[in-house]
Amino acid sequence: MSDQGIKSKPTYSKIAGDKAARYQLLLVEGAGIPSEAMAEGGDPSAFETWTVAHASALPAAPMMDEAPGAVRPFRSTQHLLSALEERLDRETMGLRLYAIGTEPFLWDAFNIASAAGLSRQEMQFAHAGPKARRIYCVHCRTMMEGVTTSIVTCKGCGAALFVRDHFSKRLAAYMGVQVDAEAPGEVPQAEELYK
Amino acid sequence: MTAAGTLSVRVREITELAPTLKRFSFEPAHGGEFPTAPAGGHVMLTLRDGGRVMKNAYSLVSAPAQRTRYEIIVRKVAQSRGGSAFLHAKVATGDVLDMAMPSCLFSLASTAKKHLLIGGGIGITPMLSFLGELKARGGRCEMHQLSSVDEAPVFDRLLAPFGDDAEIHIHTGGRAAFDLAGLLARQPLGTHVYVCGPHALMDAVTSTALALGWPAGKVHKESFGGATGGLPFKAVLKRSGLEVEVKENETLLDAIEAAGVAASCLCRGGACGQCATAVEEGEVDHRDDFLSAEEKAAGKLIMLCVSRARGPRLVLDL
Repeated sequence: MSDQGIKSKPTYSKIAGDKAARYQLLLVEGAGIPSEAMAEGGDPSAFETWTVAHASALPAAPMMDEAPGAVRPFRSTQHLLSALEERLDRETMGLRLYAIGTEPFLWDAFNIASAAGLSRQEMQFAHAGPKARRIYCVHCRTMMEGVTTSIVTCKGCGAALFVRDHFSKRLAAYMGVQVDAEAPGEVPQAEELYK
Repeated sequence: MTAAGTLSVRVREITELAPTLKRFSFEPAHGGEFPTAPAGGHVMLTLRDGGRVMKNAYSLVSAPAQRTRYEIIVRKVAQSRGGSAFLHAKVATGDVLDMAMPSCLFSLASTAKKHLLIGGGIGITPMLSFLGELKARGGRCEMHQLSSVDEAPVFDRLLAPFGDDAEIHIHTGGRAAFDLAGLLARQPLGTHVYVCGPHALMDAVTSTALALGWPAGKVHKESFGGATGGLPFKAVLKRSGLEVEVKENETLLDAIEAAGVAASCLCRGGACGQCATAVEEGEVDHRDDFLSAEEKAAGKLIMLCVSRARGPRLVLDL
């Protein structure tokens, strides 16, 4: 059950940095860099780092430098992602983008970066934090955040959805498919799998 | 990438653009239309000069959507293997030639936000095809052409039709005056660079881009031409039971074809890998862009079209 053998399930590595980069920007969905997300020898002081404080009280004089070693805290994930869009819009070639966080965060960042013209070759992702999934109901297109179980009831249409490993990069979500479509009412027990 | 089959083409028009540059316009010999050519694609012409058969690849310069004509621009070079000199001196309007179906090893990246084109001299040819395609598509584009002072007006005229849609610059001050690093450093995210011209220019673009942090996947180069000559050597074709003498100014592939053996080939420029042939004995002087460094070091394969022997003799599984 834990491995459904589906190839679109993303895999992640640690952040190693890229010596060829002209400039490196690291996004962290949290207040600090989790040490387990960095590859051995990876040096975050070479990156400009953006963090999420999840707080309205930011340092009185936040460091706003666009320079290696600068750490810039944001109030929220959404705050960071919207600043990313604006920043990438005026960036030039040679940038590498790294992100550490939950899967929805990583792939939201991926989609913003792709729209700005970065290729996967210019990004590195490390998965950290809860493994809860963003689920897309393939029947009614409702998105559900924070799903931790193998079966979930769709908030949009009420269908009992099987949480597949089938992942859409475009939607930054896993697919939920009605589990009792062929035998109505036969819904397996939900298991807590994605914590 | 590969296309089988041959087209029969008639020379419709020959235009002298400069003392060493001629544009040839071809139409289907039997009427109708040509297949839609890929942007950046090339064709291989079979040229018969008496008993000598030459096969030369040329980039198409006509816009891909142009199906009534295919056009190429050919430079007559002093050290020509013969094909270009033959086209300049002996091919006339109305002549019918065999042409292999267009194929493409140099294509536009569909996901690019911006296309940066750099041509050196006759390396303008695939760029003309790109510009035609980008004009039709509405893609963002910047073109830099390096040229001698003499030929600048010629390139200026060729590029003029695209001036409304692309930012076009012609540089006549030589490589030293061309600020390649500055140009590459100021490109927005999502730019792809395409270069065609002398090897030194293509190498400079590649190494400068990589040094500025460009990913390899966004640097594209057309790998035609380059050094074809070298010391003469003997190629033993084991399966055919033939021994072929390769002269100093001819390629291994040309020599094999002249001996009557049809080797599989496509780009004739060391780019496509179609002519990869197993080497049984002898050391190879690799000159292609297809094999990896490891494969070159292993010395088990040779690209017949551009590579040569490092010693007096090669034994090939052909």
